[in-house]
Amino acid sequence: MVKQYSLEEGVLLKVEDLVVKFYTYAGVVHAVSGVSFYVKEGETIALVGETGCGKTVTTRAITRLIESPGRIESGVALFRRRDGSIVDLLRVDEDVLRKIRGDEIAYVFQDPTSALDPLYTIGFHIYETMKAHRPAITKKVAFKKAIELLRQVLIPSPETRVKNYPHEMSGGMRQRSVIAISLSNLPRLLIADEPTTNLDVTIQAQILDLLKRLQVENKIGMILITHNLGIVAENADRVYIMYAGKIVEEGVTEQIFYNPQHPYTKLLLRAVPDPTKRVEKLEAIPGTIPSLIDPPPGCKFHPRCPFATEKCTREEPPFFNVEPQHRAACWLLERR
Amino acid sequence: MGMGSFLARRVLTFIPTLIGVLLITYLIAYAIPADPVRAWVGEKLMNPQTLEQIKIKYKFNAPWYEQFSFLVHQLLTGELEDPVRHRNVFTEITSRFGVTVEVAIIGFIFLVAIGMPLGLLAAIFKDTPLDFAVRIMALVGSSLPSFVLYYFLILLLFVYTRTTYLAGIPEPTLACRTYVSSLPEFIPVLGHVASALGNVPMFAAMMCGELSVVGETFKRLYLPGLALGLLNGGFIARIVRNSLLDAFSAEFILYGKARGLRRISLWKHAFKNALVPLITVLGLNLGGLLSGAIIAETVFNIPGIGRYMYEAIMRLNFPVIIACTFLVAIVYVTINLVVDILYAVVDPRIRY
Amino acid sequence: MEMLYKALKRAIWLYASFRERLSPGWITKNSSRIKEWELMAYAYSKSPIGVVGGAIVFIMFILAVIGPFIAWEPYWEYKIVTLGEEYRYRAPCLPPGCSGEPILGTDEWGRDLLAMSLYGIRISFVISIVVVLLGAPLGIILGLLAGYKGGVVDEVIMRVTDVFLAFPGLVLAIAFASVLPQRIRGFLESNSIARAFFAALFGLRETEYGQIAALLSIWFAMVLVWWPGYTRVVRGSVLSVREMPFIEAAKLAGLSTWRILIKHILPNVISPVIVMMTFDIATATLFAAALSFLGLGPQEPVPELGFLISKAGQFFPERSAHVVLYLGALLLIMALGWNLLGDALRDILDPRTRRAIEYRLEKEKKR
Repeated sequence: MVKQYSLEEGVLLKVEDLVVKFYTYAGVVHAVSGVSFYVKEGETIALVGETGCGKTVTTRAITRLIESPGRIESGVALFRRRDGSIVDLLRVDEDVLRKIRGDEIAYVFQDPTSALDPLYTIGFHIYETMKAHRPAITKKVAFKKAIELLRQVLIPSPETRVKNYPHEMSGGMRQRSVIAISLSNLPRLLIADEPTTNLDVTIQAQILDLLKRLQVENKIGMILITHNLGIVAENADRVYIMYAGKIVEEGVTEQIFYNPQHPYTKLLLRAVPDPTKRVEKLEAIPGTIPSLIDPPPGCKFHPRCPFATEKCTREEPPFFNVEPQHRAACWLLERR
Repeated sequence: MGMGSFLARRVLTFIPTLIGVLLITYLIAYAIPADPVRAWVGEKLMNPQTLEQIKIKYKFNAPWYEQFSFLVHQLLTGELEDPVRHRNVFTEITSRFGVTVEVAIIGFIFLVAIGMPLGLLAAIFKDTPLDFAVRIMALVGSSLPSFVLYYFLILLLFVYTRTTYLAGIPEPTLACRTYVSSLPEFIPVLGHVASALGNVPMFAAMMCGELSVVGETFKRLYLPGLALGLLNGGFIARIVRNSLLDAFSAEFILYGKARGLRRISLWKHAFKNALVPLITVLGLNLGGLLSGAIIAETVFNIPGIGRYMYEAIMRLNFPVIIACTFLVAIVYVTINLVVDILYAVVDPRIRY
Repeated sequence: MEMLYKALKRAIWLYASFRERLSPGWITKNSSRIKEWELMAYAYSKSPIGVVGGAIVFIMFILAVIGPFIAWEPYWEYKIVTLGEEYRYRAPCLPPGCSGEPILGTDEWGRDLLAMSLYGIRISFVISIVVVLLGAPLGIILGLLAGYKGGVVDEVIMRVTDVFLAFPGLVLAIAFASVLPQRIRGFLESNSIARAFFAALFGLRETEYGQIAALLSIWFAMVLVWWPGYTRVVRGSVLSVREMPFIEAAKLAGLSTWRILIKHILPNVISPVIVMMTFDIATATLFAAALSFLGLGPQEPVPELGFLISKAGQFFPERSAHVVLYLGALLLIMALGWNLLGDALRDILDPRTRRAIEYRLEKEKKR
């Protein structure tokens, strides 16, 4: 009996209760402890959080790109394919998954230098990404398309650049190349891990505009991983704040920025310097992220939380609804 | 950038290296020996007149720059003469050198045949007893003196088959040899290359289609070849294993997976990247193979340059030692040049 | 290997208290370094390969030191003269089946093989260690200079290195070793202090100074062949280290070039070099034996291992198989000891494997 899945209208990806653990010599790392989110066609969601909070692991786990000693323990990742069928990415066959990767779900890896094979040209990378999903394509056609893609991501003289090796390009160009590669098959879902960190602010803006345009034209969904709240404000429709492997707050962008509820979110927003104000000291969040090997009981944030209560040290808070589409996991919301 | 400029630059460094090689050869030939005349002439007694003639001819009393240019001239024109036996050293060498190259090549074949599959297996079965066994093999192989292994293998052969030593090396027919040496006349550049390669009996036979000679050569030389392969095979296997594992765990492999590439494509990426350090190591090992061949010749009675050098050492025949050293250096440098070029073909980062 | 770990820890603390007495406060300043050493000692004691290798090296060291003193037969007496021809290449006489004769047989001159090998171990050990201890620092210093200074200095040093590397090692060593004995022999003839020193070093008699000259030629030739490898490796490491911010900081602080090289760059490039040196001692042992095998080393009556094997080759395999097998095995064990040690050291000096062991240690402590 083939399992039938269902997704709400317009929803492209729905992840529920994702749990990922890493079995290392130092102990079991609870990288992702029950994360749920969804992405609609044409919308951009942002995954925000400090380094090490599990953002990258979450997005890699969706298409089972986790390698030993990591293990996807449980969870569901429902995805609506181009042909309308709905599959659970965590359970679907390996060869079906391979067809989805790169074609329907595309990644932009965080470090473009190590993502590219130094022995092959950029053009070749694009060509093989296309050929893996459209076996009939010829090198000529593919390279033409590659030049077009490089032009779209604003790489100057794309005709020469397409024959360049990764080490012959600057870091910014490499980053744009990786974006071009991800767009080569016009995916349904784009997972972009810090796609613009190495770029000039102007180019950054142009690239994000480009992505937005493509999104609108082709109804591409996007998961944007970043810790740059400015980009989040400009480009994301909805935001998920992650901490220590869990989502602590989620909501529509305006709600998060104008009505943050979780102490972590509040501190994050306060840490962003306001260029119009004069301050003595930059705000930072004291302390560091907890060890994910022997996580402390209770709320994961309580050691750094200025509002922590006694209950916070004992029990993990569930989600409390704040407004429609806006909820946060904090005991402080219990009273309301 | 690209291959062109890289080639040009690489060939240019050949020249100072060549000069350096000549200088060192000069150092060995003239500067270091306490009594160079005696060294060149050997321990034989000689009447004072001949001694004087030799002194003048080889410029032993002249200032160093005259000696140097004399030596360079002799070496580059290939006219170094054995003062005692009055024979041109270089003709003796070139015929024997080909034999040594044969031994090294067969050793290389065994090395690759043993090392690569073992390395692949060790990578696939990482951290299993097989992996450990390969590690031990590498350690023992690099701890065993080569000549001891040679004798040991001979002992086994003797115990089981009672064969006595073979002598000589299978050679192609005279007709073949004349044909090969005449090649430079009707094909300009390639002809010279082919003729030079033809000094290796095996290659000459292959060029004439006399494949039986090739078979005979293998039968004669498989024992030292096998030994060379066993000695270094473990080490090569370790390198193969490590570079394969490194290549497979690279981020771009994961990225390839994320792009939906098939397994075969991923393997292509991994293997090509693993090839890079492998070429380096194999290239470095070639020198070791040449040296190993030299020792093997003395044990297996093979008429190559190693045996020639050995006899020269025994009889203190100096010009031979000098000429051999020089020639081996030149060949070695050329091989390294070829390896570097191969390296640049595979890895575009090198072309800078 | 708890005992080994405890012993090593004791040694570390002895050294630490010694340094403390020289300059008080040393222990607190270097506490993290001491901890690293303890971790390395622990990792070493847990590695079977390392412990076996270390044991072999230690035993060989002892044998090398006391060998010539406890050898029961002097190497300069040709036994067949006194005992007769049948003593040439006598087969091994192993208990319990046989007794009263040399256990491992005799060599060409009727000498007890076991006794001769004691001399041989001393010679091989001394040559291999001294070659590396001289060749490596030479190469390291040149590599440091070339990598750090760059420019003309770099070019010159690298050209010279390339020229030396243009010759396959054995060939170059053969060439040098065949011309040097004349000079060195002359030197030893005139200089009695040198004669006495080197004779004592190799466990030989002064009258064999001609053979000692041959030994020294091999040694000298090997040093010349050995240093370029280190220069290349060190230079490569220095090139990557010198761009690091802390080097720039040291330069800005006004430290002299030497100080920067020794105190900051060297410690960061030294780990692979130490491993390389350990492996090289094994290689040098075999290399020296090979040179002797080819006839470039000491001749009669010096019982150099490679030389004895080459002589045995003439009667192989009918009469002298035992010589080749036994002495070959001896060389194998000597080299294997250093190779095992080097292999273990390579893993120990890799900080990543050390971290894994550190975590395990911490967990065990908690229990």
